[in-house]
Amino acid sequence: MKESSSTGSDPRQPSTAKPYVPPPISPQDLPVDYAGFLAVVLGVIGVMFRYKLCSWLAIIFCAESLVNMRNFEADLKQVSMAMMFAIMGLVTNYFGPKRPPKAQP
Amino acid sequence: MVENLTVFMQKNFFPEPPKKLRNTLGGNKEKHLLGAICIKSRTGVVRPHTVFHIISVFLSFGFHSSAIPSPSPDPALVMVKQSTSRWLPAVPSIIFPRGDSLLFLLAIVSVVSLVTNELSRSYVIAADFEGFDTDEFEYEEDANDAIHSQSINPSPPAATSLAQSSTAESHHEPPQPSVIEDPPAYGVEHGGKPYASSTLEFWDEEEFEGIPFQIADPSPDSPAAPSEPPASAEAVAGYPVPIHRQPFSLSSYAIEIVCISFLIAFAINFFIGRRQNELVALCWASHFATKDSIFDKNFSLLGTGDGKEDAPLLLKEGQDVFKFYASGRRFCQGLLATMELRSRHDLIARLTNLLFNKKDTITFEVVMSEDSMDHVVLAVARKKLAKSMHKECRDLQRFATVMPTAPSGRRWVAEDLLVVTESKEIAGDLITDVVIDQVFGEKAFEKIGKGFISLHFSDQHPGTHKKLLFLKFALPGANNMTDMTRLVNLVPYYIDLIGRYKPSAQARAKTEAARAKAAQEAFKEMQSVRQETLQKKKAEKKKIVEEAEAKLSAEAIRKKEEKERSRQMKKLMPKVKMLRSH
Repeated sequence: MKESSSTGSDPRQPSTAKPYVPPPISPQDLPVDYAGFLAVVLGVIGVMFRYKLCSWLAIIFCAESLVNMRNFEADLKQVSMAMMFAIMGLVTNYFGPKRPPKAQP
Repeated sequence: MVENLTVFMQKNFFPEPPKKLRNTLGGNKEKHLLGAICIKSRTGVVRPHTVFHIISVFLSFGFHSSAIPSPSPDPALVMVKQSTSRWLPAVPSIIFPRGDSLLFLLAIVSVVSLVTNELSRSYVIAADFEGFDTDEFEYEEDANDAIHSQSINPSPPAATSLAQSSTAESHHEPPQPSVIEDPPAYGVEHGGKPYASSTLEFWDEEEFEGIPFQIADPSPDSPAAPSEPPASAEAVAGYPVPIHRQPFSLSSYAIEIVCISFLIAFAINFFIGRRQNELVALCWASHFATKDSIFDKNFSLLGTGDGKEDAPLLLKEGQDVFKFYASGRRFCQGLLATMELRSRHDLIARLTNLLFNKKDTITFEVVMSEDSMDHVVLAVARKKLAKSMHKECRDLQRFATVMPTAPSGRRWVAEDLLVVTESKEIAGDLITDVVIDQVFGEKAFEKIGKGFISLHFSDQHPGTHKKLLFLKFALPGANNMTDMTRLVNLVPYYIDLIGRYKPSAQARAKTEAARAKAAQEAFKEMQSVRQETLQKKKAEKKKIVEEAEAKLSAEAIRKKEEKERSRQMKKLMPKVKMLRSH
């Protein structure tokens, strides 16, 4: 239908072609990186209270944030910080002094 | 042999308390002492390490907040892991620092310091038993008992077997007869609670802060308390099994197993999902943007490159967003198609997508030439979406109204669809019979309607480009790309149609009035904003001038005062005449 309606002649106009200019992305426009935020929070909790689970979850959310990264330079800081905390938490958990095992019924 | 061991332990780890204390405390208080020591060692010795720890955390913060973009996180992480698991591998990285590795080193140092802190703490606790000088911590017996029932298991079996032996008390207490004033009472009351040195090494000060670590209370009267069958059983059997060498069980590593397997699944899904998304995007591009395809016939420049032969067609922005750019066509400046695919690469998003059925969508955004789009504000979508668009899009909100009835004597769009337009006439002109035949008519829409999401043309779009056409479609699967051929054909069709379209004089006058009004309002708004900023600026200037004046006057006053003071000083000073001797 389209070809017939557009009068048949070639619609192309190479003279008006403009190369693609990526629009400037301001950091505010990017979707909020909830995963990265969660990773930081969980990582800090994992380090502070020595919760293994929190550190592991922080690592998972780090991975989540990493794969959803759009703006590499801007997001890397947060992710690497979260990763640091998560790994720190795991190190203190597994290589630090062991807590006395929980009482078993 | 066991008794000998206890004596050894006591001599090494529990030196005699000062006599004064022993007399005042009695046996039952002795365990409190130990708690006091542990706290003392914590506050006195560990504190510097803790401070270092905090500093190191701050260092790592500094590293992250620094503006220097660091390379991919993997090397840093690997380095950290190595440096913590073993001590040696950290050394080469310090000796041979790479480009911006200084910051990495800081991070590593922070982690290493943390580990040293943790490791040294156990030594500190083991070595610091000289602090038998205070007893500032008194504990209620109730609390002790409550905790006691929790800390049954950590007790090393050696100690419990000791408690079973008849001479437990005599070994436990200091071997001076003068202390034992009432041996039987002491024994019963005291209950023979030897302190386990081995458990002290695993003392977690944060969790058991200020709590004396004590072992089960198997008094001679009731050798096996009902609450501690495992300990007593071990003791009776005579095979002391250290608790930290528990039999390996999978359930104790449940967190690790679950998390690691999830991470592995996540990684696998990442590669599979990325491949799937790329496949969808490439399929679309190969159907509509290769040689002799729709876009090739309509645009002279395809892809985000500069028009060379091997320029890439698609621009990948993230793992689930692909962009296709085309330019060089009459009536329009350029076309940008954005494919927003499902987050197949992300396992968590994939799981949540099971609940909310999200579709792959493609949005064509056509920037029309400034002079080739007349007054058109029109949107077509399913009813619900159209209403929300009418509320949210500013141009629709301002200029357009919902078109309730179809124009008489014409076939019109399908029942599901709602048209939001500025004037009936324009809508009637733009939704032509051809379009109704092919896409929007009842029959056609039944067939390809599932691929259509919305259509929005506006010459009053807020933003840098005012004259824009938006067409949003759902992408079919990679294998049935041809299903959306008709929809994609709408794009060049509407570019031509709108480029040529001139509304009738009547409609034009009407829309012109609306635009003039809007422009006036916008102008007024701008004016007021400008005035506001001007006033703000004026006020600021005034403030600055006033401040400067105040400063100046203050300075003047100060100078005046100084002068006055010097004059007075002069007055006060006795007049002395200086004479030169020669």
